Amino acid sequence: MSLSLTVNGDHLTSAADPVTPLVDVLREESYLTGAKPVCREGFCGACMVLIDGNPTPSCLMPVALAQGYDIRTVEGLAVNGGLNPIQAALEASDAVQCGMCFPGMVVSLTHLLTTCPEATRDDIRAALTGNICRCTGYERIIEATLLALATK
Amino acid sequence: MSDASATMNFGRRDAADKLRGRTRYTIDRYLPGMLHAAVLRADVPSGRIARLDIAKAARMPGVRAIVTAADAPGMVGIGIADHPLFARDVIRYDGEPIAAIAADTLIQARAALAAIDVEIEPLPVVLTMADALAPDAPLVHPDWRNYEVLLEGGARGGNVAWEATVVRGDVDTAFARPDVEIIESSFRVGRQNHVAFEPRAVIASYEDERFHIETSTQVPWSVRNATARLLAVPASQVRVTVPPVGGGFGLKFDIAIEPFAALLARASGRSVRLVNSREEEMLTCLFRENAEIRIRSAVTRDGEIAGREAVVLMDCGAYGGEQIFLTTMTAHTLGGNYSLGAVRLVSRAVYTNTAPNGAFRACNGVYNTFALERHTDEIAARIGMDPLAFRRRNVLGDGDLGATGQVFEGDVLGPMLDRMDTMRDAAAMPPERADGRLYGRATAVGTWFVFVGPSAATVNMNADGTATLVTSGVEIGSGSMMQALPQIVAGALGLSPNDVIVRAADTDAAGYDVGVGGGRTTVSLGAASLSAAQEVRTKLLKVASEMIEAAPEDLVMRSGRIEIAGAPGSGRLISEVAARAQGQIGPISGTGAFTGAGVPAMPGCVAGHFIDAIDIPVFAVHDCEVAVDTETGHVEVLSYRVVQDVGRALNPRAICGQIQGGVVQGLGYALHEEVTIGSNGRVCQNGFETYRVPLALDVVPVEINLYEGAPSIGPLGTKGAGEVPILNVAAAVACAIADATGKPIRELPLTPPRVLELLLDQRSTLSLPHIAEAWTDNLVRPHSAGGSN
Ligand code: FES
Ligand code: FES
Repeated sequence: MSLSLTVNGDHLTSAADPVTPLVDVLREESYLTGAKPVCREGFCGACMVLIDGNPTPSCLMPVALAQGYDIRTVEGLAVNGGLNPIQAALEASDAVQCGMCFPGMVVSLTHLLTTCPEATRDDIRAALTGNICRCTGYERIIEATLLALATK
Repeated sequence: MSDASATMNFGRRDAADKLRGRTRYTIDRYLPGMLHAAVLRADVPSGRIARLDIAKAARMPGVRAIVTAADAPGMVGIGIADHPLFARDVIRYDGEPIAAIAADTLIQARAALAAIDVEIEPLPVVLTMADALAPDAPLVHPDWRNYEVLLEGGARGGNVAWEATVVRGDVDTAFARPDVEIIESSFRVGRQNHVAFEPRAVIASYEDERFHIETSTQVPWSVRNATARLLAVPASQVRVTVPPVGGGFGLKFDIAIEPFAALLARASGRSVRLVNSREEEMLTCLFRENAEIRIRSAVTRDGEIAGREAVVLMDCGAYGGEQIFLTTMTAHTLGGNYSLGAVRLVSRAVYTNTAPNGAFRACNGVYNTFALERHTDEIAARIGMDPLAFRRRNVLGDGDLGATGQVFEGDVLGPMLDRMDTMRDAAAMPPERADGRLYGRATAVGTWFVFVGPSAATVNMNADGTATLVTSGVEIGSGSMMQALPQIVAGALGLSPNDVIVRAADTDAAGYDVGVGGGRTTVSLGAASLSAAQEVRTKLLKVASEMIEAAPEDLVMRSGRIEIAGAPGSGRLISEVAARAQGQIGPISGTGAFTGAGVPAMPGCVAGHFIDAIDIPVFAVHDCEVAVDTETGHVEVLSYRVVQDVGRALNPRAICGQIQGGVVQGLGYALHEEVTIGSNGRVCQNGFETYRVPLALDVVPVEINLYEGAPSIGPLGTKGAGEVPILNVAAAVACAIADATGKPIRELPLTPPRVLELLLDQRSTLSLPHIAEAWTDNLVRPHSAGGSN
């Protein structure tokens, strides 16, 4: 049986076991290694992808259930080949350290930026509870998000 | 050179790809035809392997190779070689490796693990340091006497893997003085898990009779040497390269799973990928060690510390590892803050049947600083002195002696305390202060050091005007490799840091290096890189002087040009000079090397130390305000301020990012990160659900002041800045909570239930009966110096 997925606008087929987590199929079959399987429990957000526009941990989603949806990974979030506004703000704010949490952060914050243009500092902090960062202490990430909201 | 040109807020060149998800960490590498490996781990804390039969597993589908203890004869360690790669006959901790399998898929490898026939007979278990130090305790290493000793001088015996002592002056006499109060405090802290986001991961290949190990490590040369030792092959047969590393914090400062993959690659003739599962990381992560501490001081009523003694027990788990080295640090973290009349300290690494512990950001320092600062507040309370005034009176200043008799240079901590006063006074009072919760505040001081040691660097000048820096340094996220080093090289050569290419670590290409950790990258690798760049500069100026017809000393390098000083726009592009040189005399390159000079301790004062005194002390002052909810025990941090001694800030923004991140990691340690070990010897927190690291909602922005100008032998006056930010956090938070609640705080983390128990006086007093009443009764080998016995 073959599975059919739409990832970053491309159609892909996969022969994976239907219960394989989406993150593993993305990484091992499509070499889309942006999504990181860090906790595999849905807690850290490093594997976050957009499923029909909604941030979703791809470690908890069996690949079979992802069929028929528009899947966007961090690799698909660039704008005209460049950084999107939140990526650009994160870069400008010198937010990145080891970087492992950022693909998931970028996915969540890209969503926040489009759905919640009035977000306050506290909204951002609340929105980030599903995305853990072990390195940065979050402050630069929050600053960058405020910057991206302000310059949007 | 005008070294001001090295200071800037140069952004990270690796950021854009990390933000796009393009950066390929070790876990993201998939080689064609590679195999997947898994490790069989013991599920008992102590036992004897009665039978180990791999025949059935070897016939399982997809299996290409199985390796066991028979394939890895060597032993590794720091100070003593006590650690084999696989359990040999004896299991010493839950999770200890027994065998490793490589198969076509990970699922096949895991299935084959289950088919290994292993029978383990249980042996007696020691799970705590109290158990381990009990008379007649079973020995974790019954044949400890037979191990190869790699560094002479530490005392050992029974379950004491290593013991380091400091004795300076006559403590007994100080304690017998009629004019002193004697204050005693005991503390206990648990383990902390690094939770580096990238688990330890490796891909190994075996080609032309050499191993190639691509690994997520902070210490490529240590991995090279330790792998060779375990496999009993010459170190020259091992090449280690390091892709971008997804977080280290000290977790990756030791060999990990690399030798398994190397053995499997040799056995199978294929590349082998091995990645720890999150559960494996949680259970065997080389935690920050749990520790038990007793400190006793003799203090006069006007605040002079006449004498101090301390016993520090550090749980090393089943193997000595980093703890052996870290026993050294107690001398500096407990003895490097305050002026002490007489002092004696003993630091003991104790074997237990638990997963081995290792290095973690400001290792040994965070809990000793917590203990020392809580003890300091208790002293101030006893003698009726303001805690800040007591600190100011006693912090080490210019010419003062540290515990080991080291003479400290410069007044640093005193002016840093003044600066904190200014910051505090300027701050607005937090609005939450009057909402019925208990309010507390504290200021804590801390001393850390830069772990110097050998580093090498080569700078190759390219004909296009760029320079390539080749070192064994690793970018683990701090920015030292991506920001500080290119800035240093660029500053010396008048280039933009964008024109300095930083070569990823490769032990075949770059010289020896101790590794990235201990705040040493900017200092040791920076010094080696600076001297390599200066050699390039000298050679380029010589060639340029012929081209420009001016003496080399009249030339400057700036903005990509070599010009006559004072005549901007004169001279030639560096690329022209480099191209000319390449054609005339061959490509220009320079090499540099560095190691710490070593600072003497007072003769006869220390025993068993790897570092008797510290080359580059680093100081920090932290201040925080907390609100404690009396109904739930929840602690909210209202404000946090840091004054950090950075020597010279090459990239202030990068340093401030490190401080914010380090403080938050410290808040986790202080308030909720807790590792516990069950009666079965297994770590109870096996994932993110049970081990709670700080979330965005838990943290506050840290107000930061970088203190520059303290003496440093680092290049351009720098000191390491990434390690120190976590040092005082638990101390500051615990002291603030004690201030708020009026309760004695003896343990970390200060989780809501624990704080509630304190508030309700339900927390029983901490007793550590395995720390003997008389200091000297805590020694394997009585210390001869100091006249205190
Ligand atoms: S790996 Fe999916 S949420 Fe952590
Ligand atoms: S930057 Fe390392 S986990 Fe966020």
